[in-house]
Amino acid sequence: MRMRMRLKAAAAAVLCLHCLGVYLFTRGFLLTRTELSAFSLPSDLLQAQAPCCSELPSTTNQDQDLPGWTPPTVERVLILIVDALRFDFVAPSSLFQKKQKWMDRLPSLQHLASTHPSSSRIFKAIADPPTTSLQRLKALTTGGLPTFIDVGNSFAAPAIQEDNWIHQLVHTGRRVVMMGDDTWTQLFPHHFNHSYPYPSFNVKDLHTVDNGVAQHLVPWLHRQDWDVLIGHFLGVDHAGHIFGVDSQPMVQKLEQINAILQNVTDIMNSQKHLENTMLIVMGDHAQTLNGDHGGGTSEEVETCLFAWIPRSLPSSISSIFHPSTCGLGLNGKNICTSTMQQLDFAVSISALLGIPFPFGSIGRVNPELYALSPGSWDRQWLPASFYEDPSSDLKMWKNNYAHVLCINSWQVKRYIDSYSATSVMGFPSDDLHYITKLYNEAQSRWSDSKNRSCKPENGTIDEFSDFLLSFATLARSAWTEFDMKLMVVGLGIFIISIIFHLFVFERVQSLSNVYDNKTQKSSNHLQIYVAFLLVAVRAVSFLSNSYILAEGRVANFLLATTAIGSIRSSLVYGKIKKHDLVFLILIILIRFGIEKGMPKQAATNPFLNYDSGSDFDLKWLPSLFEGHDFVILLPEISPMIILFLLSFLSCKYITSTVHSRCIKWVVTVGTMLSYLFIATFWLSERSFAPKMVYVIGLSLFVLNFVLRYLGILEKGETVQRLRSLALVMVSAWSPTILILLGKQGPFVVLVCIIAGWSIISSKNKGLLDDCKMDPISVMQWSLLAICLFYQTGHWCTFDGLRYGAAFIGFDEFKVVRQAILLFVDTFGISHILPIFSLPFLVTIPNSSSSKGRDKTVIFLNLTQVYLLYGLITAITTTFTVLCVAIQRRHLMVWGLFAPKYVFDAIGLLLTDVLICVSALYYC
Amino acid sequence: MRKAEIGATTALALHSLCAAGLATGYWLSHSLYSSSLITDPAPTLRILTVCEAPVVILLFSWLRRDHDRCSFIKAVARGLIGLPIGALINAFGTIVLGAPVGLKFWPATIYWSMLMSLFTFVPAACVFGASKLDWQQILSYSKPSNIVDYMLSVPAHGAIIGAWLGAWPMPLDWERPWQEWPICVTYGAIAGHLIGMLFSPVLIFLHRRHIRTKTE
Repeated sequence: MRMRMRLKAAAAAVLCLHCLGVYLFTRGFLLTRTELSAFSLPSDLLQAQAPCCSELPSTTNQDQDLPGWTPPTVERVLILIVDALRFDFVAPSSLFQKKQKWMDRLPSLQHLASTHPSSSRIFKAIADPPTTSLQRLKALTTGGLPTFIDVGNSFAAPAIQEDNWIHQLVHTGRRVVMMGDDTWTQLFPHHFNHSYPYPSFNVKDLHTVDNGVAQHLVPWLHRQDWDVLIGHFLGVDHAGHIFGVDSQPMVQKLEQINAILQNVTDIMNSQKHLENTMLIVMGDHAQTLNGDHGGGTSEEVETCLFAWIPRSLPSSISSIFHPSTCGLGLNGKNICTSTMQQLDFAVSISALLGIPFPFGSIGRVNPELYALSPGSWDRQWLPASFYEDPSSDLKMWKNNYAHVLCINSWQVKRYIDSYSATSVMGFPSDDLHYITKLYNEAQSRWSDSKNRSCKPENGTIDEFSDFLLSFATLARSAWTEFDMKLMVVGLGIFIISIIFHLFVFERVQSLSNVYDNKTQKSSNHLQIYVAFLLVAVRAVSFLSNSYILAEGRVANFLLATTAIGSIRSSLVYGKIKKHDLVFLILIILIRFGIEKGMPKQAATNPFLNYDSGSDFDLKWLPSLFEGHDFVILLPEISPMIILFLLSFLSCKYITSTVHSRCIKWVVTVGTMLSYLFIATFWLSERSFAPKMVYVIGLSLFVLNFVLRYLGILEKGETVQRLRSLALVMVSAWSPTILILLGKQGPFVVLVCIIAGWSIISSKNKGLLDDCKMDPISVMQWSLLAICLFYQTGHWCTFDGLRYGAAFIGFDEFKVVRQAILLFVDTFGISHILPIFSLPFLVTIPNSSSSKGRDKTVIFLNLTQVYLLYGLITAITTTFTVLCVAIQRRHLMVWGLFAPKYVFDAIGLLLTDVLICVSALYYC
Repeated sequence: MRKAEIGATTALALHSLCAAGLATGYWLSHSLYSSSLITDPAPTLRILTVCEAPVVILLFSWLRRDHDRCSFIKAVARGLIGLPIGALINAFGTIVLGAPVGLKFWPATIYWSMLMSLFTFVPAACVFGASKLDWQQILSYSKPSNIVDYMLSVPAHGAIIGAWLGAWPMPLDWERPWQEWPICVTYGAIAGHLIGMLFSPVLIFLHRRHIRTKTE
């Protein structure tokens, strides 16, 4: 009895430690941000006691029509996004140490910048990590700092839920046209008046998207029925990914872009209706010389923004432009560049277009970009007393800008307040106090200057800027910087938990040795060392990103190694048994399953260069049978046949193993019904069938616990009882997991069962007692579980989740329900089934030696098995955590390490929980 | 019995002959066909196999276990039969471990498994034939009494462990040509085999001294 308590207590303690470790490490590493669902409304300024524009409604009579918070300063905006545009693609090469062959390839922009210094500007736009296209587009439109995990209510669909300027444009009746990268239509499914999306999926295709944009762009420029036009070119990004920056395709691509831009500027110069149109050519992020992006190095974040307006602007604009770096352009004229934050783009464009600033935007209206718009030089805010000296353009502009900044600050402050009120993890309170103080000072100064009805001073602009910049710094530290202290503490707790785990395991081990003959001791020790060696090999392999990508194959390789080792020992102790060979063949099958998933993974993961043709070309196989009916029927029929086989097998085992008569019938009937429903579902697609499967599974699971505590399953001998408990548990879960896996399910479950049987029967022959724990078998069990995870088409990124599984049996979407189904699908075959079936490792073997064994010994062995399984998972996960902590500045941290960490952490906690449940149920 | 006469030096000499076979193969492929393992693995592996096979089969047939009942020719025949059987076993093992199965890899896989067979299976086939007991004994080390056992088992295990270790660089993203199957695995196997061949005379020497001290 003391033993039974021990497993429960140990499992619970380990679970708590792991929870704490995961929590702390996650807080330090996975920066989370809560998405607020609030939207800015045009009327917000009037309702709230916004201190900025008290004059605005009283002076402008058309305030009902006013769509935004500020008057629009340009008529139209043409945004051309060149994906992965490096700063040195646009800026003159004289700014850099050495002229490279990819520089000065966009002379049309340089020409504009040098000949129209007062109506055009080249900016070095600093993006924030993660520099992946999706996150950048989100940042550009919402004005926020998207993190790796934005806690929101979107589940599978990537559509942007936060307030953004595209939404604001549509809301205020502007017409938006989009052409190019189809990510935009995913993010904004219902927003565009016209859209011409092209697939961004194929990295090897350099031209489809660009040619598509070029084809539609020119006709649209001649039309007048648009307000904002977005063109997104992908060729530069793709050329970088495939050939690198220093390559001929990249140069050609840039020359093509240049020709398009030249054409666009020519049209804009000639067309009257485009006179007040601002052209913005920008990158969403930059790239390294190898074409990679995603991280936070200067090569990846320093992208470019070029703005130009055909109309001429007052020459006093030059005093607004910051003293900047200048260099000689191709035509010998000076070209100057400024620096801006990409964070400021969303709010700046909102100010230009005169729409409400997006609710979650935390940027500042960029003065230089704002100054490039003709409207910002016009009289906007009355009373006229402000403009006693109309000749002074600059003063007027400053007044306008101060107004805009005031609204900008008010909007950011509103966001801070509402974020602190609603989000799980707010900002540190000291910093908040400081920010609030800055804001209050700026506002009081602003209203002072108002009350005294004198001109807003330069000081107000500086104070508002100061507030906005301080908050941006705070937000960056909260959303883009790791907290090393928390990470180290979390890692420390993981290590402590392993030490504790080892200690408990050692205690149980020594206890069990007391019951054993001394002779087996050394052999068992050797086994444990081998098992830990395998764990160590696997764990150390996580330090390299390549092995994380190839994790399924690595696990398969190690599993095969243990299988071959087991054959070797079979040879030593006698002859090869058939289960050894069966196991080897199964490993080959599992391996093919894993490799089948690799090209799918490679398609969505830019880091995985997997050449599907070289490794697994069985394409000739179908051609052999072409024209035969059974080729078409085979994929349809084979799951049914295997399903039938499975139901037969489970029926047989349940009737032969479970002794209590009523349980036997309930479980058999339940399982049979489930299989029947699965078959019905596959044949007719009726949605009631999966629901019935879930209901039967759940009720069997609950029933098991109830019966267990009523003591009905207590009858019989210990081994017998444990075996029937495990069997009933597994049969309760398997139909649900099977139907979620889809048509591959029966095959995978069959492979799982046969592999499990092989592992059990090939348990170490050196041990005289069949029921003793064999560490190698536990290790094989765990490796098999990992292989099954990859074989069933999962992998450790979020696009590796099989979203389709969440909708089996349901059409409409509910977060909790679908999340549970997705969870069961993802972890069912790799965690739930293997852990619940662990007791088979100590109970199945030939009944000859297991008869009359001491109850205590069996439970000791069971405890050992569970402890060891938990320990294996804990050690590998700890190494993942360590590796993530080491590689936190790695290029692939968001693409690869972070998802791997999330999956492993969830897997570890699930393993601990399942071990606790098993301890409650079996002991 | 002649096997008793073999000492550490003889073993070393015999092993160096095997190594010389490999070196000749490598040199031949390099100078005559100007092919290396990296540029065209399959032809190089074929040349290595062709050069190594006669050396291994002849040497280990000379060391055959039951001298009285089994002639030299018979031992050679056993070796020749053992070559494809061993290759089959090796190929199966390597596919279980994850070697690619595409058609274009078949030549390389076949020659590689031939070579592995020469490292592992053929010597034992020449020496033992079909004697099950000897095979079991050599796998379990239960009675490491025999000197030939060392000569067989240490280099063979070396080759297998070397090949196993040689597979590890394959998934790395270094994009080097030698990461292709079966190049680095072959390097690993050859290195492991050579280390094993160096190591087995040492073990034999220690073993003899141990016996000597025991008898004294």
